[in-house]
Parts: sequence; structure tokens; C-alpha cells
Amino acid sequence: MAGVGIAPREPRGGRAHASAAWAIAIALLSPTTALASAPPSELDGGSTPAAEHLEGPAPPLEPALDPDAQRRHSWAACAPGIEPCTRPRPARALLLSLGVVGGAVAAGLLFGLGDRLAPSDPATFLVGAGALAGAGALMGALAGRLGADGPAAPDRLRPPTVSLAESYAGPRYLDETPAHMLQLHVAPNLFLPHGHGRLRLLGSVGGWLAPVREVDPRPQFTEVPPGQQGTAPQVLRQRHLRVNLGLDLAVALPYPVLAPRRSARLGASELRYRPEVRIRRDHFAPGSSESTILERTMLLPLTVGARWHLSPRQRFTVYMGPRFDFVAFSDRGSDRGSDRGSDRLRRGGAQLGPLYGEAWYDIDVPLDARARRDHRPRKLAATGQLTIGYIHSNFDGQGFDFGPVIGFLGPIHVGWSTRLRPAGSPLAAQVGVFGRIGGAPSFGLELGLVAPDLRLRGRATR
Amino acid sequence: MSRRGRALAATLSLALVGAAGPGCVQPQCTSPRYSDAECRVIAENQHARLLTSRGVELRFQAPDAREDDSWDALGLVEELADGTLQARVAGAGAFAISVRAPADHDIVLPLRLLNVDPDAILAVGIAGLELQQPQDPSAGSTRELELAIAAGQVQWIRGRRPCPARYRLAVTGDIQTNPTQFERIIEQLHHEARESESAGSPLVGLLVAGDLSESSRDDEFQLIRELLARVPFPVAVTPGNHDIYRPARPYNNLAFGPGNHAFDVCGVHVAMLDTGSGAIARSVQARLPELLDRGDSRFLVVGMHHPPYPGLTGSGWSQDDLAAALLAEVARERADLVVAGHNHALHDFSGIPVGDVDLREIIVGTGGAYQGLGVPRYGYLRLTFDDDAGTMEACFVEVPPSGYAEPPNPPLRGLPYCDTP
Repeated sequence: MAGVGIAPREPRGGRAHASAAWAIAIALLSPTTALASAPPSELDGGSTPAAEHLEGPAPPLEPALDPDAQRRHSWAACAPGIEPCTRPRPARALLLSLGVVGGAVAAGLLFGLGDRLAPSDPATFLVGAGALAGAGALMGALAGRLGADGPAAPDRLRPPTVSLAESYAGPRYLDETPAHMLQLHVAPNLFLPHGHGRLRLLGSVGGWLAPVREVDPRPQFTEVPPGQQGTAPQVLRQRHLRVNLGLDLAVALPYPVLAPRRSARLGASELRYRPEVRIRRDHFAPGSSESTILERTMLLPLTVGARWHLSPRQRFTVYMGPRFDFVAFSDRGSDRGSDRGSDRLRRGGAQLGPLYGEAWYDIDVPLDARARRDHRPRKLAATGQLTIGYIHSNFDGQGFDFGPVIGFLGPIHVGWSTRLRPAGSPLAAQVGVFGRIGGAPSFGLELGLVAPDLRLRGRATR
Repeated sequence: MSRRGRALAATLSLALVGAAGPGCVQPQCTSPRYSDAECRVIAENQHARLLTSRGVELRFQAPDAREDDSWDALGLVEELADGTLQARVAGAGAFAISVRAPADHDIVLPLRLLNVDPDAILAVGIAGLELQQPQDPSAGSTRELELAIAAGQVQWIRGRRPCPARYRLAVTGDIQTNPTQFERIIEQLHHEARESESAGSPLVGLLVAGDLSESSRDDEFQLIRELLARVPFPVAVTPGNHDIYRPARPYNNLAFGPGNHAFDVCGVHVAMLDTGSGAIARSVQARLPELLDRGDSRFLVVGMHHPPYPGLTGSGWSQDDLAAALLAEVARERADLVVAGHNHALHDFSGIPVGDVDLREIIVGTGGAYQGLGVPRYGYLRLTFDDDAGTMEACFVEVPPSGYAEPPNPPLRGLPYCDTP
């Protein structure tokens, strides 16, 4: 498969492909090379949208060999140091146009046809994804101006192999306890031979560190209950546990598409398939005679996606698929004196839920591009990644509402991650901060470890 | 650990402690934003009682209450600029209001009751000794009372509606930009009220599932309130997203009273839930067992604006977790029907699996709001209950816009159009 590597151009132009293939092969064989990048794990520990460029990095192209050296300042110039050519600015302009047109058409359909368009959820997703695409393209253009259209970052980010994420959903009110979530994520990668693709296991388990408590603010209550500071009595106590499990398969498409004519140089693309299951268990009033358990399961068996590498350092990813919900609950007081409430969960069939979708825009930012003043090699390589995302799902709450637009859109994700890799080390540390903009804004911190990827060796060819 | 490492660890620890610690917390809605569902819970309770300029305290109470030491958000009490006192009952069926005179002098208190069934029997007096008041069906859903109360005394106003075994409820939602079409629906309801009364299955209430206004403006609410006053039976209202998004004042609560309330009318327990913010308030979630408790009522109907099961309409809750929690409570109570609006269309979702219970949800956002291109389907859902047979029948009454002699839309599969007026 051609892949989208950034191999140096062979002096004899006819052998450029062979050179790129060698670079890819070397990259794939190297366990210390980070081959992938992805948005950080979702705040809710949900999907970890796989986001890597399937092929590995390669040394930057020498300026003298740059085919676009003569028109480096042209709007449609190739990104420097990239072979095959990728033209970030036209690619971003196209993404911006698609986002604006797609979002506007979808919004127009919603307003024009009104809610009589019974299955209008796909149009709602298009509005959100279109807005994200537009915002991403604009942000990408700004980053491009600041130098982020250069060669691919040498150690591009992807979800850490294993990580711990802590998040906080505020604000906090008197006598209430907001949600502090701790989640353990795993996201090991298995690369298929010959650059055919990558399979990632997505798993996470976590929950609230302490029960969330809510008060009843009705003004009828005028006495301070024991153990409280205010007059509003605590009326809701809730524990929360969540588990996610999924796979993410990414397959690169040939690029350039029309080689050797190469008329389409707007960046490589990948196809994705990500089946997933997410389970949420909430325990209300645990230990009391009023205790109940609610278990929600979201099954996403057919989520498919695509990734567009608009530049060596910028990617747009979109996922979409049907969603099936299972809601199980217990009778009141079912866990009296034990934690065997799950044995009495009343389970039933699946509901066809709203459409599930995600859209992401990632920008890689090498943090050690400049040489040290003393010209000595760096002991630590640092790479950053800025991610914005739109998640078309309110499964974990946090729908993004504004004005009267309430209940249509999912949350917006903003995150920054940094990978720190000691020189020559197969392991790296990854630190991320992220926020969810929605009905109940939340923010969090993720600390992770990046281990070498697993690779399947292909059959040798002669 | 290096100095940098220690500094990083200390910073992280401080951040976590800061997030987890008590900090400068204050009660919710100290600086209220009424686009927040929890702040509207406070508002709806605040406006269900009133200390008047003459020192009289009026409080809405649970229908079976005997003490006036607390109150319940089951209505709206107002003192108008001209000194007139009026109390709007939030739902249909039985209600109670306590009136406590000032401790130092007797008082004669004129009081206007709004949204009361013309067939309701009113009784006034001290607890346990209330005297039945003469009925005046010509006054529609408004009653005028004059209470003479001794100093420090508490009098009670109680109302209840006698019911036959068969009776009806009407449901619609989403009026928004088209109150003119809603007036046509009200005319049809007038017609049906007359016909159903003579047929022995009276129409005992209308549920409006939110979005009465387009922009949460005072003048919009005033207009809708005037229109609802023309309905010849009680109207129970809950807000939608268009009714709550101007956060400065609880305009919806000031016009109609509570958004979260439950009442029993004839053999139906109706729970109206305020989902205007895309979800119920967490304190309301805690009260769901109480709000959904049908008691002696045979049927349970739950009404709200945002449908907890949206299907593929794209018009769901902002918080699916709360929607699922509500559906679980509704399934636990084996509700007969969930009615909602938000989606400007008519949808009948039967057999929604929630645990081992199959629920039915009907979206009836057909009160007049814009429905886009094509022929709109306006009208209301009619629910006919039979206490003896234990049945609930649902059908739709299409009220076409001006220019159509007959309903221009075919009925939904599974939800027929009503045959009789």
C-alpha cells in the first residue's frame, strides 16, 4: 500500500516510490518510533478516536529537492518536506467549504422541512460536524501560519497505551458533591503487515471517586439538617461506574489516488471501523431501602469513519453509526444489605437510539523544533497535540445547548496533550488536559504511558 | 525525584485538592439563572405562596393537606397592581389553598381562582369544616370568592371535580410562533367539550407539553395566558426550551406557575415535568417516586417537553443519563403513556423497551409551531379513559389550518384519527 509517509525524495525522480516504501518499512520495523497520533481520550472515557497516520515518520526533505521550492509561497504549494505532495491550504479550504456547505444544507433542511423530517438526527449531526470541520480548518490555517504545516512531528501523539484520567464536573454548590471521575484507559495498537492497517483495542474502566450528592433547593426547607451547612436537604446520592470496550481498525487508502498523474494532492485518507460497547451503571441511594440501580448499555456495532490528512501535522476525522441502547433497572430497595442488586436487574430488548457520531480535528505541534543553544542533542523529545472535537451523543450527559437550541447537539471537546520521550527510549510519557463544553462543563487531566506498538510480521516477498 | 518533578507533583496535588475541597461554595441559584432547571424549581415553589400587602398568606397545598406550615408548588399566587389577589391552579382535579389572616385583625379577602373546572365543587372554611360554595358554570374556568377570616385564623379553599367512569384528556404542545392556529385548536376543544359532556365522557383537562412561546417574552406569555383562559376546562402546562431561555426572570413560572407538578383528575394521575433545559432538575429526579406515585388512580400519564425517547428525531434530552433514569422510573411505575413535544410533528413510539417493560410515548408537537415545508399537521391528542374497563384509548384530532375543509394529512399507523367529536 502506498501510504502517506514522508519519505525523502529519491534524487532520481522515478524511484521516489521505492524510497518512500523503504522509509515506511524502516518506520514500521522500529519499535521506538511513534507512528500514530490521536485525540486524547474522551473525558467520559468513551471512545478514543483513533487518529494516527498509519505510516511512520521519515527524515525531512532537503530543501534543494523540494519540487515546490520555486513556488514555496504559493497558496497551493506542497507542504515542505513531504512526498507525495500534500497541499494543506487548498485542503483546508476544501474542508472549510465542505463544513460550511454541509452544515448549512443540513440546517436548511432542518428549518425548511422542519421536524416533519422524522429522522432528522443525521442532519443534526451534520450541523455539528460541519461546524467542527469549519472551526478545525480555520484553526488549522492559523496553526499553519504559525508553522505547523511542516514535516510530520517525529513522535506524533496517539492515545497512550495505558493512562489514568481524572476529571471534574462543576460547579459545586453548598452541601453538594460534584462528580470526580477516575478512569483507567488502555489503547494498545497492533499494526498489520505492509502498512495495511492498524487495529487498536479501546478499553476503559472507571467511575466516580465518591458518591455524588444533590440537594433539594425548595424554599420550603428552613431548618439545617444534621451534618449540613445549608437548609436544602441532601436528597440524591449516586455512585457511578463505567466500562468501555471497543476496537478501532484503520486502513489507509492509496495516495495519491490517481498515481502517477497525481491530480488529487489534498492529502491521504483512511477508512475506519470502530465497533464498541459502553456500559454505565448508576447506583442511587446505595445501601438504603430506596436503593435502585440503573444500567445503560450503548452498543455501537457499525460505527464507521474516515480520516483526512490535510497536512503532515493536521487531520480531520469523522465517525458515524447507529446506536442501540439497553436500559435495565432494579426494583426499589433491591440491594438491601448486599451489593447483589445486579442480580435483580430487569433487562429487556434494545432501543434504536439516536445516531452516534464524532468529528475531530488534530494539530501536531513539535515542541523541540529548535536546536539547543549549546547544540548538544536533547535528552527529551517533546511533541504536543491540540484537539477539538464534536461528539454527537449525550449518552454521558453534557449536551451543548445555547439559546433555545436545547437537546439537539452533543458536547464539544477541547484538549491538549504532550508526549515526552527520553532520547532513545522505547517508552514515553504522555500528559493531557482536556475540557468538555456542554451543559455541565468539565475538565480533566490524563497521565499516560506510551509503550512500543505491536506489529504483525508479513510474509516475506522475493 | 527531581526539583521539577516535585514542583509538578505539588501543583497537581494543589489542583486536585482545590477541586475537591470546600472552597467558596454557596447554595445553588444564589444568583439565579432561570435557564437552569434547578433555579426554576425554586421559583415555582416561591410563587406558590404569597404574603399579601394586607398581611394575608396564601399557600397552595396538597389536596389532602390539613396543616398550613408548609406548601406545595401546585399553583401560582399573585397580587396584581390594583390589589386583586388571584390564584391559578396548576392542574386539573382536586386542589387546596390555605389562607391565613394576619394575627392582629380580621379581614375580608376577595380572591379570584383561575384554571378551575366549571364543574368543580368548591368548599371554603376552616380545616375539616369547609362549606360547599354555589356553582356558577357561566363563569367558565374562573371563580370569584370573598373570604371573611378572623384574625390569625386559617381557612381552606378546596376544589374537586366529580367524574364519570369515562372521561377524556387532550394533549398538545409547541405553540410558539402560531397562537392563531392554537386559537383554532381551542375552538375545536370548545366544540369537543360540549359534545363529550353530552356523550357522558367529559373532557376534563388539556396538557400543554411546552414551548408556548417562541422567545420567552412577557407579551407572548400574556397572550397565551389569555388564550388558555378561554379553554372551558383546566389546562396544565410545563415549559419547553423556548419558554426558559431568557434567564433573567422565571417568565414561564410567573405566567403559569410550576413546571414540575402532579395532580389526580378523575382516575388519572398526571405528572408534568419541566424539561425545558433539556433535562429535569436533579432534585426533581430525586422526587420522581413521589411525583409518579399514582396512589389510587387507575392510570398514569407523564408529560414533558423533551421526549425522553427521541428515536431518530434528533430532538432528545441534553442528558441521556437523566432521560434513561426517568424512563426507568416510568417503567417501574408502569406508566400508561409518556407525552411530549419539542419535535413539531406527531410520532407514536409504541413498545419502547425499558428493562422488562414496554413503554409508549407519543410526541405531539402539533400546537401550531412551524412545521416546515409541506402541509402541517396541527391538532391535539385525545386520550379517552374508562375506569371500569381499565382502558385508555388514544387518537388524534387534526385541526387543519385555515383553507382546509378536511384534515389534509393521513393518520399515523397505530394512532388513528378520532371518529367522533
